[in-house]
Amino acid sequence: MNAYFTAAVTGLAAGSAYALLGVCAVFTYRLVAVVNFVGAAIGATGAFAFAMLAEEGLPLWLSALGGVIIGAAVSVAVGAIMTRWFADSPASTKAAVAVALLVGLVAVGLRITGGQHPHDFPALIGGSAFRLAGVEVTKASVATLLLALAFTLAANLFLNRSHTGLQLRALSERPVAAELIGIPVHMLSLWVWAVGGAATAFALILIAPQRAPNFLTLSLLVVPALAAALISFFRNFWSTLFGGVAMGMMEGLATVIPGLGEYRTAVPLVVILVVLLWSQRGARWDDAR
Amino acid sequence: MWSKTALLLAAGLGTAMSGPAFAAGPTCPDGPIKLGAISTITGPVDFSEVPKAAKAMYDAVNAAGGINGCKIDYEIADDKADPQVAAQAARDFIDNKKVVALTGGASLLECAVNAPTYKRAGVSSVHGLGVDPVCFNSPNIAPVNVGPYTLTTAMGLFASNTLKTKNLCAMFIIFGGTQEAYKASIARWEQLAGQKAKLVDLTVPTSGDYTPFLIKARDEGCDAVISNASEPGVVAWVKTADAQTITGVNWLFLSPGYTVEVAKTLADSKQRIYVGTEWEPYTEQNSAANKDWITAMNAAKRPLTAFSQGGYLSAEAMLDVIKSIDGPVTRNSINKALASMKPVSYPLAGSPYVFGPGATHAPMQATKVMRLAKGTWTVETKDWVVVPTK
Repeated sequence: MNAYFTAAVTGLAAGSAYALLGVCAVFTYRLVAVVNFVGAAIGATGAFAFAMLAEEGLPLWLSALGGVIIGAAVSVAVGAIMTRWFADSPASTKAAVAVALLVGLVAVGLRITGGQHPHDFPALIGGSAFRLAGVEVTKASVATLLLALAFTLAANLFLNRSHTGLQLRALSERPVAAELIGIPVHMLSLWVWAVGGAATAFALILIAPQRAPNFLTLSLLVVPALAAALISFFRNFWSTLFGGVAMGMMEGLATVIPGLGEYRTAVPLVVILVVLLWSQRGARWDDAR
Repeated sequence: MWSKTALLLAAGLGTAMSGPAFAAGPTCPDGPIKLGAISTITGPVDFSEVPKAAKAMYDAVNAAGGINGCKIDYEIADDKADPQVAAQAARDFIDNKKVVALTGGASLLECAVNAPTYKRAGVSSVHGLGVDPVCFNSPNIAPVNVGPYTLTTAMGLFASNTLKTKNLCAMFIIFGGTQEAYKASIARWEQLAGQKAKLVDLTVPTSGDYTPFLIKARDEGCDAVISNASEPGVVAWVKTADAQTITGVNWLFLSPGYTVEVAKTLADSKQRIYVGTEWEPYTEQNSAANKDWITAMNAAKRPLTAFSQGGYLSAEAMLDVIKSIDGPVTRNSINKALASMKPVSYPLAGSPYVFGPGATHAPMQATKVMRLAKGTWTVETKDWVVVPTK
């Protein structure tokens, strides 16, 4: 039993990362109605910019600021493509464009960052926060989790309580109507992309030091993140947060359960399937068809 | 400038050109001797340095007048780590360009894709860097490198014989069809060392957080862990071990971890990190064994990397084989020369290179182990760690 608890705790680092990236994905979806496949790749751009600036000898916090700004800038560029040419397109088209942008960004990113050669990602927040069941829970993991929590709280408050939040919700649900009643659709969308990009870049700056420092692997963190977001159908920040953490812990558990280890990377798929089946539980055959 | 380069390289090629076999020598009635290499250049990895080093060697030979007056026409194809592209490249080399042999190739998947084609067409390959298991299990391919599977056994022997570890664990990332080959390499170590592996975990993901695996290794009581993580994977692995304050475990990695970038990135780590090399450690630039290779690469302005050692060695072996031929250099005469060749010792490698008539070839069975300390690789085993044949 204790071994299982230990194994679950080992998945906390991954889980907090999924949670934060998942929350960022929900944020983008709820405000600009794009399933952001390119999110983690945008974050990876910022994280690599951070590492490269730090390699140039810049102080860590300044490098992190640089990374966050570059992440935001790349995100705005992606957002500009989305809002200029695909604002009125159906969700499936936007998702396809996001996947295409992911492939493009990864190809360019791998070239610029030197492919398989690792960059040195300094730990912005180093060391262990506490020890739980024989596992060091790092300060970076705790910070990632706290950031996800803060983002969840802030996003909820902002969307439900502020005037701009209301405008943004209108923008995501009825972009044309929103534009007609005078909401500055284009500018607001770009701000959403900027905030989402900055948050993801900061998330990856925290996560990257203990991951394989490779542009592709960091970009593919988007898969578990989107699985976490799907738990609430890209609607609810809290379920995404808890879902992300639970998924990481399930992956940790799978490592020590004989016969399951080979399939641990399939955890997001299982989560997606279960959510889809659960969401259809009340539907009769005719409705579901 | 070019003639100076050529002279230097030709000098580096050594005495073989003036040996007795050269007296009768190879001929080329149909024009230049056509050789090819299929390598992964674009895609997830870039192995281009291997065939480029081989090309530098052939260029130098050509600039010095060729072998017995025969020039070498050496071409490199990129397989993009795509099986279809690799297959197409092999057909193009064999059917259209009529190459007599392949040399200096380094690919993630080319052996697995093209071995049957080579067998059918009767073409042999002296690979610069064999990666997939078929490279070491085909009658037509004999790489000049040790490869990840023999290297796993060798690192196991280093752990049990030199480090005197009692609880060796193996944690592998399984790509494609490599599972059986890794299992066999651990079984081979168990047989040679007379020990059982404490833990064999073949479920490590290529990417992701390694914390669960490191904690598992620690809790199982492993005192040495062999991992086949790639370069960024090694960095993540060791940084996670540091974050988990794991002590007393020897981390044994294979040759992909042996780079200057890894050393720099892990300069602050207190973990015990070892890697097995494919050839004479390339970072030991004062080593006598590296002298000819360094001279040749400097003359051709090619970087001094482990990859360029592979290309250099494969070209050296192929040139020696061609020089041993009396008469026209064709696929048949090269195959005959390869099958009947005597083992040749090269300073860069711990085992003599031989192709021979066997159904499979893995001539290279020796490694030197490097240890990472304070950002620098140092030689841990002055002598080669050789995997015994039985």
